[in-house]
Amino acid sequence: MAQSKKHKSRGMHTAHHVGPNMTPMVDVVMVILIFFMLGSSFVSPDWYLTNNTPAVKGGLSDVKTNAMPPTRINIKLRVRGTRTIAILPGLQTADLSGELATFLTNKQKALVKGVPVEVFISPSNGVPYKDVITTYSDCIQARFKRVAFRPPPA
Amino acid sequence: MKVRGIKPMQDVHVNVTPLIDIIMCLIIFFLLVGHIAKAASVKGIKIPAAKNGKDLRNKSNQLIINLVPPSGGYGDHAMPSILIWNNRIPESQLAAYLRKEAYPSKHKGSNPPIKVILRADRSIPYRFIAPVLISCAQAGIASIHFMTRRPG
Repeated sequence: MAQSKKHKSRGMHTAHHVGPNMTPMVDVVMVILIFFMLGSSFVSPDWYLTNNTPAVKGGLSDVKTNAMPPTRINIKLRVRGTRTIAILPGLQTADLSGELATFLTNKQKALVKGVPVEVFISPSNGVPYKDVITTYSDCIQARFKRVAFRPPPA
Repeated sequence: MKVRGIKPMQDVHVNVTPLIDIIMCLIIFFLLVGHIAKAASVKGIKIPAAKNGKDLRNKSNQLIINLVPPSGGYGDHAMPSILIWNNRIPESQLAAYLRKEAYPSKHKGSNPPIKVILRADRSIPYRFIAPVLISCAQAGIASIHFMTRRPG
């Protein structure tokens, strides 16, 4: 007994690590963190099309328009069977897979610069939202700045 | 047998406490962001694709209007549900709700206008989309952002 006491007092104090072992916890937490970071990077960022809301009585967007009436292009969207077609000025029809975009681009090129142009999209009641968005996207691609939606016919 | 003069090995280890603190903060951040994103956007909506969309640079102060299609198709009385923050809003009350959300402190004049984002299913007929646009206009919201996805 006396010998062991002697040994202890003579030797240096060894710093023993007392407490829980953090290594597995750090491992697990790191895995969770990497999972969240990768998960958030896989989510594709949102993509937006912005449009002014329709002018209604009492709304803020009920503003006076230009004194000179702008050139107006009316695009009627109608459902034919399972697909939607666009009825253009002059009763010309175009599908939404590319013909409409071509028409709008050509129309934009043909217009006199500086003349204000308004494009009205008039979908019928049953036109799916995706076709309305496609038409609007084609208008933006053709660089029309003023594009508005008409309410569906009653 | 111990040799005198040689110091015993000391337990040298890296202090991982600050590391764990930071990692825990990051995990809580990701959990909260995920929870908020889940609450704002509702499942069961297939977003339409658009070629010419843009990123929203400033994503603060936004309000997402979710239009969820009815599960059984569009019958005589079936219509999409309007959900905002997981609350079902009747179409007739949407303008009043938006007005309240858009101008919570009308007299203080400190809040910037909200960004209204329409998150509608691609199959929803236009007759259900138009009333939402009109309600936004009635609430005094000048522009609306259509949420889309990149094609492909």
